[in-house]
Amino acid sequence: MSEERETRLLMISPNSMLTPDQLVRSIHAMNKEVKVKETCYGCLVEGRRDIVKEVLCQVRKKYTNEVFSKRRAYPAGDPRRCRAQHGTRPGYCQLEAEWALLSNVQYGLECADRGETVEQTPVKGPFSVRDFKRICEE
Amino acid sequence: MTIKIAELSCGTEYSSVQHEIEKAALSVGAKMVYPDVSADDVDDAVKRFGFNPRSNQLKLMIARATSLADGKYDADAVFICTCFRCAEAALVRNELRRFIQDNTNLPVVTYSFTERLKAPQMLTRMEALVTIVSRKELLARERQTGLTAGLDSGSSTTKAVIMQDNKIIGKAWTTSGNVIESADQVLMEAMKQAGIELKDLEAIGTTGYGRYTLGKHYNAKLVQEELTVNSKGAVWLANKQRGEATILDIGGMDNKAITVRDGVPDNFTMGGICAGASGRFLEMTAKRMKVDIEDLGPLAMKGDWRNAKMNSYCSIFGIQDLVTQLGEGKTFEDVAAAACHSVAEQVYEQQLQEIDIRHPIIQVGGTSLISGLVKAVGEILGELPIVPPDSQYIGAVGGALLSSGFL
Amino acid sequence: MKVFIDPPNSLVLFDIVERFGHEPLSAMAAIQEKIDNLEIDMPPMNMTLDDVVRGLKYAGVEVPSGIRGRLAMWGPMIEEADAAIIMDDAPYSFGCVGCERSNEMLKYLIKKRNIPILHVVYPSDEEDAKNFVISAKEFLEGLSK
Repeated sequence: MSEERETRLLMISPNSMLTPDQLVRSIHAMNKEVKVKETCYGCLVEGRRDIVKEVLCQVRKKYTNEVFSKRRAYPAGDPRRCRAQHGTRPGYCQLEAEWALLSNVQYGLECADRGETVEQTPVKGPFSVRDFKRICEE
Repeated sequence: MTIKIAELSCGTEYSSVQHEIEKAALSVGAKMVYPDVSADDVDDAVKRFGFNPRSNQLKLMIARATSLADGKYDADAVFICTCFRCAEAALVRNELRRFIQDNTNLPVVTYSFTERLKAPQMLTRMEALVTIVSRKELLARERQTGLTAGLDSGSSTTKAVIMQDNKIIGKAWTTSGNVIESADQVLMEAMKQAGIELKDLEAIGTTGYGRYTLGKHYNAKLVQEELTVNSKGAVWLANKQRGEATILDIGGMDNKAITVRDGVPDNFTMGGICAGASGRFLEMTAKRMKVDIEDLGPLAMKGDWRNAKMNSYCSIFGIQDLVTQLGEGKTFEDVAAAACHSVAEQVYEQQLQEIDIRHPIIQVGGTSLISGLVKAVGEILGELPIVPPDSQYIGAVGGALLSSGFL
Repeated sequence: MKVFIDPPNSLVLFDIVERFGHEPLSAMAAIQEKIDNLEIDMPPMNMTLDDVVRGLKYAGVEVPSGIRGRLAMWGPMIEEADAAIIMDDAPYSFGCVGCERSNEMLKYLIKKRNIPILHVVYPSDEEDAKNFVISAKEFLEGLSK
């Protein structure tokens, strides 16, 4: 089954104007054999691995740098990970924290698309003891 | 009503024990739940708590505890558990237990597990949490009424007590063999002393390892784990029903330390990994020295443990130490004292760290009759424990007392 | 190429690796292997005692069981990896990456493999994020597909 089933978590960057509802509708419009479940951060897409990857490919094309994705181990609605059963699992906090990071990553991807290069920022090392001593003595 | 036990834990899923914890909870009518927190809550909670562990799962535990303390999440009891041998987690576990006790009225139990943990090991602890939540009124009972019996089927001995109108009128004990036969024997003996017959009894309460078997056999009104039952028996025997106390019961197989407020337990620890820290070790010591276990205490009282150091944490190696000490010509008195000191020290190091000791300390159970052990506990804790009369009958007394609540 | 990501459950790292044409090796994949096994009923993750015992390959019995269990899950993936991206000091590592000692060991195991490794810093602002994405892109594009 593992070879077959793939569940994807699609998360919309906080900077995007796209809503989960729009995202879900646009996936439905692709007419692919996948289950789509709207969530507060985007949606879950579940189906055969190759089909899910096609969906993802089209989503990335359409909403470049706005929608992020990772695999989800558990199928959608699995009681073993369902919030209604036990309360939030640890992974929930992580998703929340990563969601907050996405607008910056979106910006980074846009810069990369424009062909910008890495700016070397000088790394601040610890203040040297000799300099510190000199300042103290002054 | 399903009792909601909030789980504050780290490592349970990756140690393959989460399922066992949930199974134990389910079998006593409870359910494990995780207090809801958001990522922002985690940072705030850690700042407020003041302890900033490196591991994020421990930070999450702190946030969940804060959510309980603030009343944002509704639970009936708290179970705090982390991996055995993790120093960072051990610090957080203990401080969170204090935090929960200071900020809520929820009963709490802590545990450190290995991957070998199985549901039955958790059962008594989970059952005690559920009893404290669901039988509050029963646990507040201070007087025994009517004519009732208590049966305590322990790992080493089986005890029976008959009580009438808040007085013990019959009592007996024997070493544990067949659960039902041993109980029958002591119950008959106790009833004979009391001058009554089985049909006269208005209620029976059972506790200890054989409680379910005996409960079924005698159609007992009360079948309850030994943590709550023993603590009730202890405060009744010591006449300390009001105020605070710590009950210390060094048993044949596992040790219990229970804190009570007005006779109702609110925190406990139960350990049983190592026989080196149990009554069993003292039995082995007595056997090796060819003295009766009853004589071990008085012998130890005359000795000085400093003269025969035992640096062992295992009953096997402990006995080896003992043999060496005897071989070197150390006196029986000093060796007996060293054995008592070793058990007391381990109970202190392994168990009493998991609770906050409240005074007075009431030492009970069969081992409390070994005067040398009580002295050793007193030396280590800096306060001589109270040993009430009939201290070995706590479970049976608790059973008789609490079962009268069903009349 | 198979690129191990650390934290192994990170959405951002998973997405970036995949976006630039490689296969991320993640905790999610390893967990899915376990939970889809219908022969084991050990919810929520189907971790068994045998799994934890397998962790002894990476750490001795004196190491807490949660660490050995985690290593048992990640170890085989690290052995399979052709490259790795490590985000240092990721402040969001909850759940399977909630144990800092396990995470330190994980980084060490990756280093011992002698595969191409990119260390990135957790981006705290747009400029950091730009550097993070561009260096990840350059690294991933430099790996043969």
